[in-house]
Amino acid sequence: MSGLQKSPWVIHYDASSCNGCDIEVLASLTPGFDVERFGIINTGNPKHADIFLVTGSVNEQNRDVVRNLYDQMPEPKVVVALGICACSGGIFRECYNVSGGIDTVIPVDVYVPGCAVRPEAIIDGVVQALGILEARRAAMVASSTAAGVMMIQHATAADLPELLTVQKVAYASEAEIYGDTSLPAMRQSLAEMAADFGRMVFLKGVVNGKIVATIRGYNDGQGTAHILRLSVLPYFRGRGLGRRLIAAIEAEFPRVKRYEIFTGHRSATNIHIYAKQGYRRFKTEPFNANVEWVYMEKKSS
Amino acid sequence: MSPWWRLLIYLLAAPIVGGLLAGIDRRLSARMQARIGPPLLQPFYDVAKLLSKERMVVRRSQSFYILFFFLLTVFTGALFFCGSDLLLVFFALTLSGIFFVLGAYKASSPYSFVGASRELIQMMAYEPAVLLTAVGLYMVTHTFSVHEIAALPSMPVLLLPGVFFALMYAMEIKFRKSPFDLATSHHAHQELVRGITTEFSGPILAIIEVAHWYENVMLLGWIFLFFSIHWAIGLACTAAAFFLLVVVDNACARVKWQFMLRSAWYVTFVLGCGNILVLWLLEMFGILTLKH
Repeated sequence: MSGLQKSPWVIHYDASSCNGCDIEVLASLTPGFDVERFGIINTGNPKHADIFLVTGSVNEQNRDVVRNLYDQMPEPKVVVALGICACSGGIFRECYNVSGGIDTVIPVDVYVPGCAVRPEAIIDGVVQALGILEARRAAMVASSTAAGVMMIQHATAADLPELLTVQKVAYASEAEIYGDTSLPAMRQSLAEMAADFGRMVFLKGVVNGKIVATIRGYNDGQGTAHILRLSVLPYFRGRGLGRRLIAAIEAEFPRVKRYEIFTGHRSATNIHIYAKQGYRRFKTEPFNANVEWVYMEKKSS
Repeated sequence: MSPWWRLLIYLLAAPIVGGLLAGIDRRLSARMQARIGPPLLQPFYDVAKLLSKERMVVRRSQSFYILFFFLLTVFTGALFFCGSDLLLVFFALTLSGIFFVLGAYKASSPYSFVGASRELIQMMAYEPAVLLTAVGLYMVTHTFSVHEIAALPSMPVLLLPGVFFALMYAMEIKFRKSPFDLATSHHAHQELVRGITTEFSGPILAIIEVAHWYENVMLLGWIFLFFSIHWAIGLACTAAAFFLLVVVDNACARVKWQFMLRSAWYVTFVLGCGNILVLWLLEMFGILTLKH
């Protein structure tokens, strides 16, 4: 039993609505419509919410707010755009400060038009969102049980945008450790990654057709293979995917004398994983005020 | 029944009873507001949902504190239903509360901080009443043992109406009901977001929820002790007290924390201490004998 469909908690955000739709959202909670009959609760806290209800078009001031609220919601989650302004920008579409509908910032799953949107339509939209929510949960369960059958393949140039996303999501936890978002892995652009792609071997870990992990490496021509940017999506950590990727990338360079890898000095988990793979630290080098790189090496057997 | 059987029944039945009570509470509240309300099993759906959500934490150690909050709450209830010392139960419960507060402080967020400091103030507000309950029950029954108090064919509430009122005042705080739902609330109040539980989500929030079910069952057990003359009377009076808590919840707006602290202490010291003083005077002048 998932219970997900029986207890959808919503968070409501007024992007730049005229308040017409907002009043209707609140009306849904009143005795006349009483959405709590379906277990729907208006939480006011993104971390507790499953469904993100947005009213009004997005303007330049609140793009980041909408993005932030969306990012703070735990998976599985769905977004419902309520009212014509949230769907497309509505009559405010041409305004100099309006970016358009909600889908210009975050992915929208259900569009509920109306000016103002009626409570019946809101309830209908939320009920449709429930179906999507359940499908997402099923996909989550499927991919987590399938983590053991991750396929490791050579990445192609077409994979690069997805690989960059995986890298940045994975390195968010590193940036958090050091309180520093200027780590090279976080700053890398697609063009720089494409340049790397020309001279390095890129591997991707695929679960259910989705890239969940990546690693790359290159031979410096002097007997050392440099391995870098091991990235595993947070949801798939602790299942040995990193270990398998390291083994796979080492196998790509059979004729080198030694392998070299580096990480930040406070990334205890990384250092532990590398040490378990036979890497020994041999030097440290300051990178900036926050981070010191720890270099680890392993002799080729 | 041996204490081990009671322990087993408590461990298995308390979450079920607690969850049903939460469902009854939500349905009763809805009816009082002229709504239909959620299904009776809604709290169970909510917890099942939360368990299937992504694990998302600000700091990993916050889950560790919540785990201890859960274990200590269950442990406190186990002590109580095994018939252990009442004082021990009260202090163990305080400890579990402190772990909850620590968990909230660990997640450095202003909402969580406000909730945590309010929780501490709430503890300050209700602790005197809880301690007086132990004192009062000891005066009447000459024992701190829950087992012996429950076994006595007496109605402590008859001699301790003031103490009981003070405890009910504390219960309104402990059950997180209006007018004292300052630290967090089960209803959709938005101005504090969710106070102490703001930064907890998914499975961790589910653990907090289940811990509250265990806790509520034990708190109702405290009320039961005041009516322990016969189990049927005890259960009926406990149910009535629970109903009263829900009525007050729906009839009151939230107050400021200063008012909560002051009024809780006034009620405790005037009614609770007054009650105990009167009992003591009556016994000293030989009008009443509290011997069993």
